[in-house]
Amino acid sequence: MERLSRWLALPPLAYLCALFGLPLLLMVLASFQWPGEFGGLEPALDRSEDGYRLNLTLESYHRLGEDGLYLGLLLKSFLYALVTALLCLLLGYPLAQLIARSPSRWRGWLLLLVVLPFWSNFLIRIYAWMILLSPEGLLLGVLNALLAWFGLGPVQLLYTPAAVILCMVYVHLPFMVLPLYVNLERQDPALLEAARDLGASRWQCFWRVTWPLSLPGVYAGTALVFIPAFGMFAIPDLVGGTEGIMIGNVIRTQFLEARDWPFGSALAIVMTLVILVLAWLAAWLARGKADYG
Amino acid sequence: MRTLVLALGLLVAALPAAAQNRLHLYIWSDYIAPDVIAAFESECGCQVVQSHYADNEEMLAKLAAGAKGYDLIVPSTEVLGGMIKQNMLQPLDKSRLPNLANIEIGFLDNPADPDGRYSVPYAYTVTLIGYNTRKVEELGIDPHSWSVIFDPAVLQKIKGRVTVLDSPRELLAAALIYLGHPANSLDPAHWKEAAEVIRQAKPYWAAFNAASYMRQLAAGSIWVAHAYSSDIFQAREEVRQAGRGFDIGFALPREGALVGMDNLVIHRDAPRPDLAHQFINFVLDGRQSAQLTNLIGAGNPNRAARPYIRPDILEISAIFPDAETLRRLQVPEELPSARERRALSRWWTEVKAR
Repeated sequence: MERLSRWLALPPLAYLCALFGLPLLLMVLASFQWPGEFGGLEPALDRSEDGYRLNLTLESYHRLGEDGLYLGLLLKSFLYALVTALLCLLLGYPLAQLIARSPSRWRGWLLLLVVLPFWSNFLIRIYAWMILLSPEGLLLGVLNALLAWFGLGPVQLLYTPAAVILCMVYVHLPFMVLPLYVNLERQDPALLEAARDLGASRWQCFWRVTWPLSLPGVYAGTALVFIPAFGMFAIPDLVGGTEGIMIGNVIRTQFLEARDWPFGSALAIVMTLVILVLAWLAAWLARGKADYG
Repeated sequence: MRTLVLALGLLVAALPAAAQNRLHLYIWSDYIAPDVIAAFESECGCQVVQSHYADNEEMLAKLAAGAKGYDLIVPSTEVLGGMIKQNMLQPLDKSRLPNLANIEIGFLDNPADPDGRYSVPYAYTVTLIGYNTRKVEELGIDPHSWSVIFDPAVLQKIKGRVTVLDSPRELLAAALIYLGHPANSLDPAHWKEAAEVIRQAKPYWAAFNAASYMRQLAAGSIWVAHAYSSDIFQAREEVRQAGRGFDIGFALPREGALVGMDNLVIHRDAPRPDLAHQFINFVLDGRQSAQLTNLIGAGNPNRAARPYIRPDILEISAIFPDAETLRRLQVPEELPSARERRALSRWWTEVKAR
């Protein structure tokens, strides 16, 4: 049995090496190369009469740090992703709790409702939000009518950073709810009963029992939301307006418009490093708490 | 079982034959009339397979990454020179293109491809201002100047109702023209001035948008758009059909504007250069060529197409410029090297982030 499982692990391992590890190495190499005259890359090895010579450079990394422009964008994207993850947690936790506590015959249906939006294409859902958020849209129409009733001026939502956060929260919410649900559903109700018997208030029950036990789910959900949100480019492109650009947009531009693969690679690597450190941190925190649970 | 084997055998035998009789067209989306494709298919007894791109750079990036099998591609002039220098294209056999005579002489004089060895002009678009006629009139704004998207004094009347193209080349060129510099200037001082103009105008813009502004213009939520002429044409068709109580206007700014030509070229490794030549000659026929203009309002360099083009389109001077308008148009040039592309990319990031 042991041996079989080892064999079965081979295909996914090979898949990861071939389609994640290798491209990552190529990207690291590309970030030290010179860009080709018409896009692509200059060869990493120069062939001259007296043999081969390395043709690498640190220039892309120099440009990245030369002033605050790109680092500022990196920080801004980090904050956007962080806010998105926190809002998802705030909205997702009660929802996951509700589903986990509901009668078991309902749970399947409720989970289905959470996953249902995935049945339609991501871009189509964002376009739908563009219609809802536009000044002529239903949502904003109702909101502005309400505001006018209180004597407040109309607000604009589409093409603002708020629209970017709103759409990112909307898109990523299921990634928060699912791991939280898995965790909360498995918690033994007897623990809460014991806490109540020992005189804990409802708040204490939550804060001293449910919350610490759910931390692995919280970390997993936060990582699942934070990581894709950090590199997001489609949402800022569509609803971000003139202020919403994130680091993902810049990376995409390097490959699809500027034809500057080395610089795009360097930006992507810095982003990957930030994410790796955070993922490692989350895993480390989660493991610590799991032992303690 | 035997039937299955037989069927499979037949299928395998038929595959190469079918694959041979296909023309692979790599083209901008919605850039050829479906009727033209159908007519060509019945003439050549072959099948036309289309793939689409939304951006020259997307097409180049895909080809650079090794995409193969395309016969015909439709690059804009500003990337044509690079494709020729990279040896990506094959020279045209003009003996197979008798309809080439239909192209207006002026359009054949393309500095990116002298003597048209590799390319045939297909259609062009002018980058200009599209506007909601009712709003512009109500607010007393003159849309025939780039000041309508760059001058804060004008912009304050239409705050949040303006979009500009999400394209570094187009926006830089528009700002340079507004400032009175050549659209293709590479002078860093000019670029800096342009960035400053944009920085002051940006708070009044709703978005950088190259994909959905025509719909918003047609819906009435955007009043002024820095736009491609064919998009404005389509927005106007939509508004007129729906009867929304306003019209969409074309304004070619008096300071000048960019005109972008798209060209038919054959890829060096085209599997079917013969079909590709046949296709080019087919779409150069006046009647076929006119269909694209009637459908999307593309500018048309084909003389023989004129009699078949809707008269109301021929009257739009932004699509069919008269001699006076023509003098105001500038053609985008390719950035000379990777260094300028880097500089432009940095300029763009700065414009967007600050």
